[in-house]
Amino acid sequence: MKQIGIPTLQPRLKVLNREQALAIHTAALEILEKIGFKMEHPRALQLLSDAGCRVSNGERVKLPSYLAEKAIKSAPKQITLYDQRGNKAMPLVNGNSFYGTGSDATFTLDLETGQRRRSTLRDVANFARLVDGLDNIAFNMSMANPEDAPIENIYVFAFAEMVKNTNKPIVFIADSGRDMAKIYEIACVVAGSEEELQGKPFLLSYSEAISPLRFPENVMERLIFCAEKRIPICFPSGSNAGGGAPVTLAGAMALGIAENLVGLVVHQLVGEGSPFLFGPNVSALDMRSAVVSYGCPEWSLTQAALADMRDEIYGLPIWAYAGASDAKVMDAQAGSEAMFSIVTALLSRSNLIHDVGFLEYGSTSSLEMVTMADELVAMSRSFVEGIPVNDETLALEAIERVANTDTNSIFLMDDHTFEHFMQAHFLPKLLDRSRYDSWEAAGSTDLYTRCNSEAKRILSQNQVECKPDDVLKGIDKILQRL
Amino acid sequence: MSEFKALIEAVTKGDISKAVAETQKAIDAGGFIQAIIDEGLIAAMDEVGDNFSKGTIFVPQMLRSAKTMQECMKLLEPLLKEGDTSSKGKVIIGTVKGDLHDIGKNLVAMMMEGAGFTVTDLGVDVSPEKFVQKAQEVEPDIVAISALLSTTMPAMPQTIEALQKAGIRDKVKVIIGGAPVTAKYAQEIKADSYGADAGSAVTEAKKLMGIS
Ligand code: B12
Repeated sequence: MKQIGIPTLQPRLKVLNREQALAIHTAALEILEKIGFKMEHPRALQLLSDAGCRVSNGERVKLPSYLAEKAIKSAPKQITLYDQRGNKAMPLVNGNSFYGTGSDATFTLDLETGQRRRSTLRDVANFARLVDGLDNIAFNMSMANPEDAPIENIYVFAFAEMVKNTNKPIVFIADSGRDMAKIYEIACVVAGSEEELQGKPFLLSYSEAISPLRFPENVMERLIFCAEKRIPICFPSGSNAGGGAPVTLAGAMALGIAENLVGLVVHQLVGEGSPFLFGPNVSALDMRSAVVSYGCPEWSLTQAALADMRDEIYGLPIWAYAGASDAKVMDAQAGSEAMFSIVTALLSRSNLIHDVGFLEYGSTSSLEMVTMADELVAMSRSFVEGIPVNDETLALEAIERVANTDTNSIFLMDDHTFEHFMQAHFLPKLLDRSRYDSWEAAGSTDLYTRCNSEAKRILSQNQVECKPDDVLKGIDKILQRL
Repeated sequence: MSEFKALIEAVTKGDISKAVAETQKAIDAGGFIQAIIDEGLIAAMDEVGDNFSKGTIFVPQMLRSAKTMQECMKLLEPLLKEGDTSSKGKVIIGTVKGDLHDIGKNLVAMMMEGAGFTVTDLGVDVSPEKFVQKAQEVEPDIVAISALLSTTMPAMPQTIEALQKAGIRDKVKVIIGGAPVTAKYAQEIKADSYGADAGSAVTEAKKLMGIS
């Protein structure tokens, strides 16, 4: 009889126990019930008041816990993003992890000159095409706040540029209900129809509440639009420890979660069962430079904690960050900060992980950085796979074979090696392990230089499957009518 | 050696009760109010600023010292004679229309207060008209404008233009800042100055006032 195999432990990082998770959750509910928040959107205010919130002074709202608990229950436990051809691409559920880029960097490191310069629509296109060609980068964000796009429609132009240059899922930004509607129109053209888009969404809206505890009209407008149209949305506030939120991580998380829950409650009141990706951005305000850090261990720690809270309490897929840095160039600091957040995000099973490829605390983007991160994600994945233990991997037969042949035999020549090496080892493409002489002969390159060449190679060789002519025409028509 | 050694030490350490007690002591001893401010409090804050630039203290320590100074000022202000000034200048500050980022703006405001400016904070999402209206009301020396989004940066030249139209552009100095803002941009839109962070915001504001 075939025996039941030995299960493989896949390393999983836990940073909170159940008591800690519940205490932070309770504190978040207390913030909403006792301290309250400022809701500046009339319809949202009415909805909250009708649902049982207490409203005072026009827009100060106190929200009873049961409303939050109810919204947590009605939001779907799984959000599936499709690619732009309608194939299932990102089932955001349980411990599935997907990495992608970030939005809105003001500057970019030029691929040719290495100089930091203002980013343009062309950069949006290049990042999209690069992401399209990288195996471990699952979704795309604009990575640029393009200088050459008309400012009042900047997010519509950035979105159009993304769909023209990648078929992967897109996480997008909008400013108000108005540009959101235009982006939605483009998305419908790409999907074929509104129905097809809602059935197989390839996009997720990144919208933000204002810490502490403020909900402006245009932000809520976008949230309500998404709830009605069932476009997946995330709603992280900037509850960074020491700036928008208390300096201590527990309090910063409680505040960020409270702000997220307000979004979730309104969202579910408008569109019960509409998809909502949970989670705040809890980074740290650097106490020397007053910069919100994109490379600090605190952000990785709070999102690992959020993953624990997801498992203990919320059951909703979560929003996260990784693969970014505060370094100004892609140097050793950039590599170490990127790797730290990438591996911990995976170890803690964060779901949708954005901001891959940012430098300078989110102000500058780098194609090389994204290319490096692709390799670091692969490296992390191979680590998190763990060590499968079975007859094949214990390899006693191979050991016997090699031990019994002549003394100068090694495992490298054995068939077992040939059959298993691809799965057994991580095989780097960009991280250099060559001998000194061959490294020197190949130009004595560092990782930055190799990532630069690889990014250029992908941009020139990877063929992004082009959208049909009528789709492209449809998009241009929408842009012209703006 | 300054006669305000103990006061200076209390302010640099951010020991509010000690600093307030020392201020009271100096008042009781009949010291000149202006001297307590200049040689005591401001001297202490200059030292704090230096330490921060050198990297030996952190932002919260600097802010605590600023708060300590303000508590001491509460005792001194009512005693100031006509002609004495407790203020290095008047500032109005706000984040531009359409922009809701305020952490950086708040930090700049606090640091300016700490350095002895009188600051009126107009909040976020401040329209050019509101900047003008407040400028007419407060008659500030400096109008400080913050923007964190490239999409809201154009509201900066619009605000400067509105000040021009209202005929008060040459009565105020305009300083701008925020993540996407650069010195070059400040020049282009004819602002008088630019600060990359809260520390340089203060240095620049002092330069604009002809003090340093
Ligand atoms: C926190 C944050 C938020 C919070 C803000 C909370 C709050 N109460 O302020 C929230 C979550 C609400 C938010 C929202 C958005 N944000 Co935001 N946000 C940030 C973040 C992470 C940090 C900003 C911050 O507070 N820094 C800490 C403070 C202390 O520093 P500072 O603001 O830079 O200020 C210092 C200097 O700039 C200078 N300074 C500032 N003002 C002034 C004024 C004067 C006169 C002077 C002299 C100096 C000066 O001194 C300050 C102190 O040292 C930055 C990225 C980053 N790391 O900078 C993005 C960032 C600014 N946001 C960005 C974006 C795109 C948005 C959104 C559009 C996103 C969305 N999906 O909705 C919305 C816009 C909302 C709106 N209409 O305003 C982009 C902007 C890109 C661009 N070029 O336009 C950034 C750069 C992130 C990114 N790469 O995508 N954000």
